[in-house]
Amino acid sequence: MTRRFPFITSEILTLNALMVASVLSLIFMNSLVAAPKVLFGRSLSAIPPSLFPSIVLVLLAGMCAATLIIVRTRITHSILEDRMGRTEWLRAVILFGIMTLYAMTMVPFGFLISTAIATALIALQMGARSVLQIGLVSFLGPVLLYLAATRLLAVSLPELNTIELFYADMLSLFASEAPAVPATPDASQ
Amino acid sequence: MIEQFTEGFAMAMRFDTMALVSVGLFAGMLVGSLPGFTTLMAMAILLPISFFLDPIVGIPFLLGIYKGGIFGGSVPAILISMPGTGAAVATSRDGYKLTQKGESRKALDMALFSSAFGDTCSDIFTIVMMFPIAYLVMQFGPPELFAVLLMSLVIIAATSGANPLKSLIMMMLGLWLSFVGTDPLGGVERFTFGLFDLKSGIPLLPMLIGVFALPEVASVIIRNEKSRQLAALVGERLSKAEFRRCLPTICRSTVIGTGIGIVPGLGQIVAAMMGYSAAKNASKHPETFGEGEIEGVAAAEAANNAVNGPTMVPLLTLGIPGDNVTAILLGAFVAQGLRPGPQLFEEQGATVFAILVAMVIANILFVAIGYLSIPFFARLVTIKTSVLIPLVIMFAFAGTYVFRSDATDLLILVAFGIFGIIAKAGRFDVMPMVMGFILGPSMEYAFGQTVAMSSGNPLGFFATERLGALAVLLVTPFIGYVLWKRLYGTPAKI
Repeated sequence: MTRRFPFITSEILTLNALMVASVLSLIFMNSLVAAPKVLFGRSLSAIPPSLFPSIVLVLLAGMCAATLIIVRTRITHSILEDRMGRTEWLRAVILFGIMTLYAMTMVPFGFLISTAIATALIALQMGARSVLQIGLVSFLGPVLLYLAATRLLAVSLPELNTIELFYADMLSLFASEAPAVPATPDASQ
Repeated sequence: MIEQFTEGFAMAMRFDTMALVSVGLFAGMLVGSLPGFTTLMAMAILLPISFFLDPIVGIPFLLGIYKGGIFGGSVPAILISMPGTGAAVATSRDGYKLTQKGESRKALDMALFSSAFGDTCSDIFTIVMMFPIAYLVMQFGPPELFAVLLMSLVIIAATSGANPLKSLIMMMLGLWLSFVGTDPLGGVERFTFGLFDLKSGIPLLPMLIGVFALPEVASVIIRNEKSRQLAALVGERLSKAEFRRCLPTICRSTVIGTGIGIVPGLGQIVAAMMGYSAAKNASKHPETFGEGEIEGVAAAEAANNAVNGPTMVPLLTLGIPGDNVTAILLGAFVAQGLRPGPQLFEEQGATVFAILVAMVIANILFVAIGYLSIPFFARLVTIKTSVLIPLVIMFAFAGTYVFRSDATDLLILVAFGIFGIIAKAGRFDVMPMVMGFILGPSMEYAFGQTVAMSSGNPLGFFATERLGALAVLLVTPFIGYVLWKRLYGTPAKI
């Protein structure tokens, strides 16, 4: 069953966005790609740095346009029904909002606090209501991962100095011979 | 070559390699057993761990996840008809019917043994074939390399979705993203918008985790998937007689899977379906397939696991990842300072063999771990997603951060995650994009060298001096079309 052209689907929006972006990039190519380096009047590379991007962007814009035309003529009822609904998109927006918050707070707040907030929010979004479950996932998970990463794999995760010192003190209680050497904290206080 | 093999064999016989392979196998089986969680996601999230291990330990660890995950996907496929991975779709047809008949234990045993058989045979084939192919590839110059890279991208685009135009669009987008940063030929900045963080280009790791792992996680939340019906693991174990009866089918599927594994872009799903179809066609009782036929499970599982070894052939000899899993492996190789390609065999031949030998060892461990852990993995299918998903997201973010200790990578991760979910909703396959991103710089570099060799006239150069490369370029569209036609057959479904 053929329907009228639906203007707002993620597919059409993506195609339009890619087409517009590639056309704009082609127009402003000279600003987006630096001029080739020249030595004694000769270019240092065999092909100009904008050649390959230009070819790719022309093809991209052309293919997006062609696909949009095909979409217009062949879109079917079943495809419209299959696409994500408003509720699904809302869940996706909330989830990626939490993730963005997590990404932005990890360094200033430290790994434990930012992870505890993000995982608790995600668990709540998924319908978890048990305080014990949320608490275990949000606090025990990041603490164990942090200790495993910094002590076993010797890699650094951002953490506040206070919390890092607390970990070091706790571990030194278990390892009586020598206090644990704290990993270099990346987070600002 | 023999010297490198023996050296590699000795290198692989390390306790830490075997221990980490076992951990990888267990982790892969664990993740594969959880419906909605894929091997790809597990590999993407655990990839950063491999960076901090020796190459002979870190890469086999990832291979363990890969192998374990493919088998793990068959557990929910058999027990609750919910394939944990795309490769297990064919397995669920007969596997779930066997569960309904009260023979789930037998089906899982068959999945395990046929997987291990198919995988081991294909790994041995890979070890035997790797060096002759690498030797052939060493004769390649920039024009041949450019032609082969272009052909690989076209094949990947043709085989990754029903609509080749959309796959090509994603491939072009990947190429475009690969231009961000510094030009590989002239060293000038492109598409950086003056941002210092983009001068070295878009980092591969946040892209891999962002487009492969986050959309999978997000789709569980978006679908609001919470609990599942408990499935019991019942019935007798698989007998030797039953395995022997299925052996011809397993061998046939192994050959099919091995052949498919070499071709970039096809992968486990196609292999499992073809192995299953071939077994059904060859059977004297094709009507029993789909009704709980143990041969159906054997055919699908042997075929999908036989893909694992040969996918390493284009990856290691040409640096071309055949599928999204090998794209992640390529990331691991590069992070370890090993650049896949013909030079790798000259410079690090023993290491390559050590990794390949570790793949065979992994299969032995795979049988032991799988046999003992099947009851445990069978229980996993009922774990609450509200416990798992937040932890998976935490791993994804921590893994991304530890690679470069750069908070910008976290934002790039989220950006690619958002793009991944939009692409999923719009039915765009992100695999060609990742392939374009990975192969873009090599392709541009090879093209630039070709232009330099031809004194600015590449077309004339191809036609007069590089007929082999020209032939590859000319047949590429036909190969792409034929593969697409065979896989999808019908006009483009948007």
